[in-house]
Amino acid sequence: MKAEDIMTTKIEFIDHDAPVYDAIEKMIDRRIRSLVVRPRDEKDVYGIITARDIIYKVLGENLDPKKIKVEEITEKPLVFIDKKMDIEHIISLMKRFNIARVFVCEGMEVIGVVALLDVMSASLIKKARGSRVD
Amino acid sequence: MLIEKVIFGGKAEQKVISRIKTFIRILWSAADCFKTALEERDKALIASVPDLEREGDSIRREIIAKIYEGAFLPFIRPSICRFVEMVDEAFDVMEDAAYEFEYLQLDDKEVEQECIRIADVNIKMCEMLLIAFETLFTKEDLREKTLAVRIYEKKVDEIKFDLVKKLRGKEIKTFWEGKILSDFISYLTSVSDAIEDASDYLHIIKLSLR
Repeated sequence: MKAEDIMTTKIEFIDHDAPVYDAIEKMIDRRIRSLVVRPRDEKDVYGIITARDIIYKVLGENLDPKKIKVEEITEKPLVFIDKKMDIEHIISLMKRFNIARVFVCEGMEVIGVVALLDVMSASLIKKARGSRVD
Repeated sequence: MLIEKVIFGGKAEQKVISRIKTFIRILWSAADCFKTALEERDKALIASVPDLEREGDSIRREIIAKIYEGAFLPFIRPSICRFVEMVDEAFDVMEDAAYEFEYLQLDDKEVEQECIRIADVNIKMCEMLLIAFETLFTKEDLREKTLAVRIYEKKVDEIKFDLVKKLRGKEIKTFWEGKILSDFISYLTSVSDAIEDASDYLHIIKLSLR
């Protein structure tokens, strides 16, 4: 199984200067746990903001999400992988960098995301399929 | 293992098992055909789905007849028949979706892509149902196969959730255009529900043999 077989193509973006409140709204509306933060300019890179960041760094600290900007809690850079990367390689990458998701790109474009749950589901399916080939 | 041998090991039983495998394989072919027709917008090819459903129907009747002619111990016969009928429900909704496709105007590329993704998961679910059915007669763990089916079904649910949300904001020109599109999505997404039910039922059959 390759990244392209298991990735989620539902990726939502947010501007770096948007308030965290907008990010919360977007995550709740779309039922997702992370948003890709657009680069500030051509020299900048993509980042990520997760529900975990929002809870630990904003809500848990009793800060006002309307006053904090997304870029203040954004994690950078993202880990990108090729769509043909196989699942074992993805697991070792996630383990090595201790990350919950990797992004799949095609050229300069982000086309999907592979999160821990996707990897877990794919591993179970692979095991259930046994020796059958894709 | 002895009980499985006693229950499934006879000549008549093996024949029924082989026919059920064929029945599921035809469902798999219908799902494959459905996806290709959708990708290629081939309304002639989609007509093969009802043809495969009819072929499946005749095999289903043959299976039920063979069971009541004496294959399997009486206590397990209704369960095997029920499983076959559940698989047939997947055939029925796929056929309904195929009929709707003939009149469907799918002009939204994004909606079309999501429908193709659902059709693709349906194919994988048919394969997994076959694997699960084959596992019924082995020492292998059936639970992990039914879990795989449930994972696939959740995926279809997620796509369906987004699709329905998107469709609610779509402008519909006529009553029939809206109804056909809505029914098509509804039937297409029901295939995975039917397969999941059949797979869960396999698990119940396995438990009843303990």
